[in-house]
Amino acid sequence: MTLSLTVPDILVARAKAGDLEALEALYRAFETPVYNLARRMCRTSEDAEDVLQETFLEVVRSIKSYRGEGHLWGWVRRIAASKALMRLRSEKLRATDELHDESAGGPPASVGARIDLERAFDQLSETSRAVVWLHDVEGFTHEEIAEQMGRTVSFSKSQLARAHARLRRLLVVEPEVT
Amino acid sequence: MMHCTMDDLLALRDGDASVWARRHVEECAACRSELDALYQRVAQLKALPTLRPPRDRWSVVQESLVRGHVQRRRRWAGYGVATAAALVGVMVLGPAFGNRGSAEDLAQAKQQSAQLESTLQEFDAETRVMSGREAELTARLEDQIAQLDGRLADLDARAAREAMLVDLWRQRVQLMQQLVEVRVARAKYVGL
Repeated sequence: MTLSLTVPDILVARAKAGDLEALEALYRAFETPVYNLARRMCRTSEDAEDVLQETFLEVVRSIKSYRGEGHLWGWVRRIAASKALMRLRSEKLRATDELHDESAGGPPASVGARIDLERAFDQLSETSRAVVWLHDVEGFTHEEIAEQMGRTVSFSKSQLARAHARLRRLLVVEPEVT
Repeated sequence: MMHCTMDDLLALRDGDASVWARRHVEECAACRSELDALYQRVAQLKALPTLRPPRDRWSVVQESLVRGHVQRRRRWAGYGVATAAALVGVMVLGPAFGNRGSAEDLAQAKQQSAQLESTLQEFDAETRVMSGREAELTARLEDQIAQLDGRLADLDARAAREAMLVDLWRQRVQLMQQLVEVRVARAKYVGL
């Protein structure tokens, strides 16, 4: 991602004072990375949009408590990840997730043809996608993921290993049957 | 020959692999190739196109923010109503424990405050955009009004000295006037 995620301190100070224009500027600065993170973790674009909205409602509510320690994007990203994981934890989505996990051992939809990484990634369960994205792309540690998910560090590690094993299988070029 | 598992490969990548895995990957071309593939997969994941939100959600966030602000004001206005009710009791019983002049002052302050509340309600459009300075001033004044209303609501109307009630009520009027100046004067200035 090549987006600039640095915002001027004065903008943050104005946002903390409740300046709506400054809050909107923060929204504009972070809406795409937040949506991208949410969309990579959630199954549908509607869920990702909801996560985007919930994230910024939280940002607006809590910006006064941001003490300027670390990059603002890091703070916003933690909120976004938390909102996305909360969504994944909901009963309805969990049921979908389990169904998806059950099919994980079966043959992929496109056996015999090489599929690209994006499609392979989409075939992972939501939990696996979340762990892979947060750890390998966003740079969260296993400890942070475990804390946010309410699980153990070994759970996070084993999810990551399972997800990479599945990605590897999905990305192997199968010989064309003629 | 035993090869590295995915756990081993991930540990190698993250720099916390076992001694066996570190030695093995140096000797085994197949496992080195798997480790390279892992690095490439992660690099490709990082290089996936950035997905952009299909719709603008700022208006929803802003609406919720403004609605919360108005609800807060209404809650404080509720304190004002409770305070007014308590003061009505004082005024009805006024002659029993105070002089007529104080009761009239109280009624006058209450009336002024009610007028200012109406003025604010009239101009307090929910979609009003506030500048940082205006938001800060508004929040500070509203906090002060809320504190004052809390004190007034807590006062036992029968036990309170009428002069004290008049004083608090006048303070409320002054704060309300400042709030009106901040909100309404600006609204007129920008033609809202």
